[in-house]
Amino acid sequence: MTRLLDIGLQRITNLIMDMGHLSEEVVNSAIESYEKGTMLRAQIFEGSEKLRFLQIEVTDFATELIARYQPVAKDLRFIQSCMDAAYGFSRFGRYAYDIAEVLEAIGPIPNCDKSPVISMAKTSKEMIQLGVKSLEKLDKNASQKLYMMDDSVDSIFRNYLKKALSQSTQTKKKNYDLRCYLSALLILRYLERISDHACYIGDSVYYVVTGDASPRR
Amino acid sequence: MAIEETFDAKESMTEGHSLTREPRINETAESTERFKVRIENVNGWYGSKRAIKDVNLNVREKTVTAFIGPSGCGKTTLLRCLNRMHEMTPGAHADGRVVVDGIDIYGKSIDPVVIRRRIGMVFQKPNPFPTMSIFDNVAAGLRLNGMRNKTIIREIVEESLKNAALWEEVKNELEKPGMSLSGGQQQRLCIARALAMQPEVLLMDEPTSSLDPIGSSKIEELVRTLKDSVTIIIVTHNMQQAARVSDFTAFMYLGDLIEYGSTNQIFMKPEKELTERYISGKFG
Repeated sequence: MTRLLDIGLQRITNLIMDMGHLSEEVVNSAIESYEKGTMLRAQIFEGSEKLRFLQIEVTDFATELIARYQPVAKDLRFIQSCMDAAYGFSRFGRYAYDIAEVLEAIGPIPNCDKSPVISMAKTSKEMIQLGVKSLEKLDKNASQKLYMMDDSVDSIFRNYLKKALSQSTQTKKKNYDLRCYLSALLILRYLERISDHACYIGDSVYYVVTGDASPRR
Repeated sequence: MAIEETFDAKESMTEGHSLTREPRINETAESTERFKVRIENVNGWYGSKRAIKDVNLNVREKTVTAFIGPSGCGKTTLLRCLNRMHEMTPGAHADGRVVVDGIDIYGKSIDPVVIRRRIGMVFQKPNPFPTMSIFDNVAAGLRLNGMRNKTIIREIVEESLKNAALWEEVKNELEKPGMSLSGGQQQRLCIARALAMQPEVLLMDEPTSSLDPIGSSKIEELVRTLKDSVTIIIVTHNMQQAARVSDFTAFMYLGDLIEYGSTNQIFMKPEKELTERYISGKFG
């Protein structure tokens, strides 16, 4: 028996999946901008705005489902989690745009060591994919994996911060370029926040499946 | 007047129960609250057909407990077992124990009429006494029980109508027939009639099923108010109503009590798959 609510749940699932894939694309574009020096600001802005509007659409639609069908138990938890995930995806878009803005403000930096950012970006992108996949499959175990990945992301950020601080005391060093450290630190910070939101999506999935808060929260 | 005072004192002594000797369970903060009604291994029968099966459930004092479940699951039968109205149906009987304030209401020396006085009931359809005025509808139970003091009767009628949130609407037309009121008002009149007997437990069998949303809403508000002084058990087919008004919810299916817990737990995180499917409308 198909319930009327099921039609709505399918639609909100589609919206969330669209947001997940779009947010992946937008973050990829931001990282590509950094890595290759291509200016994709307008494209990233467009994606970020689209994510923002989709988040509003998800929230409105979720509210409508609650008002019209009074869902309970897993249905209600799913709708609530869709709203949380939609917020997370919209944040991915916002951070991607922040990265693009940093790159525009700083200008071309072809000679910087980009490996820390590229390394963290790889993990962050995997986390986004895992978050999206966990939503699609309602995989409650993804939450733990995401937190483990987040630990490594946090570690990269902390280590780079220490490195940048120690370098700043040696400003007379021959090849020192402040723009390299500034851009890397800011982008690492945005990636670190993206990773946090990927964890929150994992938490939401855990909540849908079990009805409990994720043990790590 | 506490319920145990209306019972035979010998029965109370024999059974070894009393209000003050009621044991308390201390495992959790929630369970430290006092149980008003204990339903122990209760079976309800219609002839040889067992309509409810070995139901065990403790109802906390001054709370609202909702019985939910599909038609024919036994929730109304269980409700009617709680004030011995079930046995008034020809061929029907119940076994097991229903313990109210430590007294088994199915005890040999217990008078069912006394039980029904202390455990009031409100039915699906409002059923005011058709030939009586609003005032007399509320006073009828008092008079039947020998109350003759007109001043006291008037005071109780007024208080009951106030407690039923009807006084302001009828205070100037108490002599009008009860049947002249709207459906929602009639149901509140029936609640006032039940409250006049100062029950400690109020059983409500789908009390809003024949009312419009405004009438239903008033009854729901009333239920929330009344639980400060009365333990309420309500049977409802309306899941949202159970979620709105009750503190605890019991889900029944085919005569079995499937799950019982706080309303929040039942509606947010039911333990049993069957409960989840029922409250989510996935049956069928």
